[in-house]
Amino acid sequence: MVFIFGKQLADKLYTRMALTQFYGIGAHTAHRICARLSIHDTCRVRNLTPYQITALTAFLSGPTNQPQVVHQPLAKHTYKIPAASTSIRSLPHAAALLNPPPPAPTEEPAYVNGRGGDPLRRLKIENDLRRDVRENIAHQRMIGSYVGKRHAMHMPVRGQNTRNNAKTARKFNRVERWG
Amino acid sequence: MIPSLVVRSGRSAWKGPFFVQFPNLREAKINNIPIKTQARACTILPDFVGLRFMVHNGKDYVPVIVTQDMVGHKLGEFAHTRKKFSYKFSRNK
Repeated sequence: MVFIFGKQLADKLYTRMALTQFYGIGAHTAHRICARLSIHDTCRVRNLTPYQITALTAFLSGPTNQPQVVHQPLAKHTYKIPAASTSIRSLPHAAALLNPPPPAPTEEPAYVNGRGGDPLRRLKIENDLRRDVRENIAHQRMIGSYVGKRHAMHMPVRGQNTRNNAKTARKFNRVERWG
Repeated sequence: MIPSLVVRSGRSAWKGPFFVQFPNLREAKINNIPIKTQARACTILPDFVGLRFMVHNGKDYVPVIVTQDMVGHKLGEFAHTRKKFSYKFSRNK
């Protein structure tokens, strides 16, 4: 059992599956988070190192406070790989290899119209996300739109059939939605 | 208005929001006359704020007073088309 952000993650689960227990993290986002923290795909929760657990906790408790991902440029296609016997000191970029400079803070591309920026830094989970959803519903309700009305009636919002079923909407669609 | 509403609606951003030009918009603003319309799909633009509309709901025209919060939504969202079912007991067969 690993406790992260108020949730127990079972030991036997793959980490990228265990993360989907959090409200607001699906399979894709969980996979991206694992990639960001260098947790491999078949790493189970019991195999996480204490450092990785701390990193996960830090990430989930404040995605916006995370340091920016440093851009690692790829080598150009013209790059000739030096022979394996070459000593590091004789490489042209030996100074940078031996004494790596601190990563320079780069300007993050602005988030405009659903593009740009780092999606993981905009991540909202658990209560923050629930509050957002509730605010959006409250907005619809306040302006008197059809969407808000359907939420108040505990009915499907987007024209689904209601003769049968509509179970999910009956369960979840509330003005004070919790789930 | 939510800035990304055009994007989230699934409509191409280069087209901008869909709206209908009301020839009597200026007149309606000055004289506070409701604009009678069937254009339910028309997006509410920022300069509609404070206007009164009579939006068709398929049967009759429903009064809608546009406020700041409604900007970005469609006119039809505020003229509901369904009537709530209420059972009426009828004796004659």
